[in-house]
Amino acid sequence: MMKDQFQARMLRIHFGEGDKWQGKPLHEAIVAKCMELGMAGATVYRGIEGYGASTRIHHASHWTFSKDAPIMLTIIDSEEQIEKLIPHLDAMVEEGLIAMSHVEVIRYSRSPEKA
Amino acid sequence: MLSAGKALKVSIYLSEGSKHHGVPTYSSILDFLFYRGVSGATVLKGIAGFGADHHMHSASIVEISDHLPLKIEFIESREKVSELLGKLEELAGTGMIEVQETTLAKPAQISKPKTATPPAHVKMEGKAKMMRIYIGEADRWKDKPLYNALVEAMRANDIAGVTVYRGILGYGAHRRMHKDKALHLSHDCSIMLSAVDTEDKLRSFLPLVDQMVEEGLVVFSDVDIIKYSYRALGVDQSEPQSGSAAV
Repeated sequence: MMKDQFQARMLRIHFGEGDKWQGKPLHEAIVAKCMELGMAGATVYRGIEGYGASTRIHHASHWTFSKDAPIMLTIIDSEEQIEKLIPHLDAMVEEGLIAMSHVEVIRYSRSPEKA
Repeated sequence: MLSAGKALKVSIYLSEGSKHHGVPTYSSILDFLFYRGVSGATVLKGIAGFGADHHMHSASIVEISDHLPLKIEFIESREKVSELLGKLEELAGTGMIEVQETTLAKPAQISKPKTATPPAHVKMEGKAKMMRIYIGEADRWKDKPLYNALVEAMRANDIAGVTVYRGILGYGAHRRMHKDKALHLSHDCSIMLSAVDTEDKLRSFLPLVDQMVEEGLVVFSDVDIIKYSYRALGVDQSEPQSGSAAV
């Protein structure tokens, strides 16, 4: 098992589950873009309740908003990689919030390939 | 609590169908009054009426009108009313707000007096660390799911708290997901555990993470914590409250 430790950036993108990009759910489009750019990883989380910029309550169990739960997408990568992604996000995220923080990462991997 | 004597009565006139950010205006206003600690408020439904636009609105048997007049009433002290009015004007939109002097002859009493006043909760603020551990849902440690084992291990090591999240989509540390299941919802979803505690406590837990996590990511970030707790450190004299002490 390999263990390495380094500084990185964490990006959290908040938007709604109903948001689209070229006809496709925005979260899927962003994950696909991340893969294309070779980002280290991306994970999508669905919130069960919340409200945001539009101050509309998103509630997963409420039938009218069931397709509009809050979505959070988390990406952790080096600053350079994150900088590469940001212009794409500028184009794709029409309404949403991006939070960036500095993080310290410990990575465990089974095979010692690829930094 | 209001006491007998001079007070103000506020009436807000709305149309039943009016919306504020997608929810009925009256419920936004009612929520606002509730969470701002107003002693009480009532929503009354008119059966007919007209307003600024001079349209007669009435309920007929055949159609269900959503333009019927609604009136929200509450009585509060002068200070409280002046504190709330600005926001109320914004919430009421095109509706009308009326304030009148009133005299409270007898304040309402809480129907079921509480048996014991709960101890005041304590607010703690400070710097802390957030530790997030990213693993796969299918990862196991000995005979149980890894996330489960990690939560138990953290609990045993007095880590203040931990929550497990399941991602709905993703790729990353797990090469197998990266390769073939990248864009499918798989049974091996990404799992994130998020724990907040002092840096020392989290770091002292790390050797255990080293042992348990074969493949994954541990991420530390600085956080400011604001914690509300019923049990102040060292002054834990109250008996457990039934359900009310949830933090």
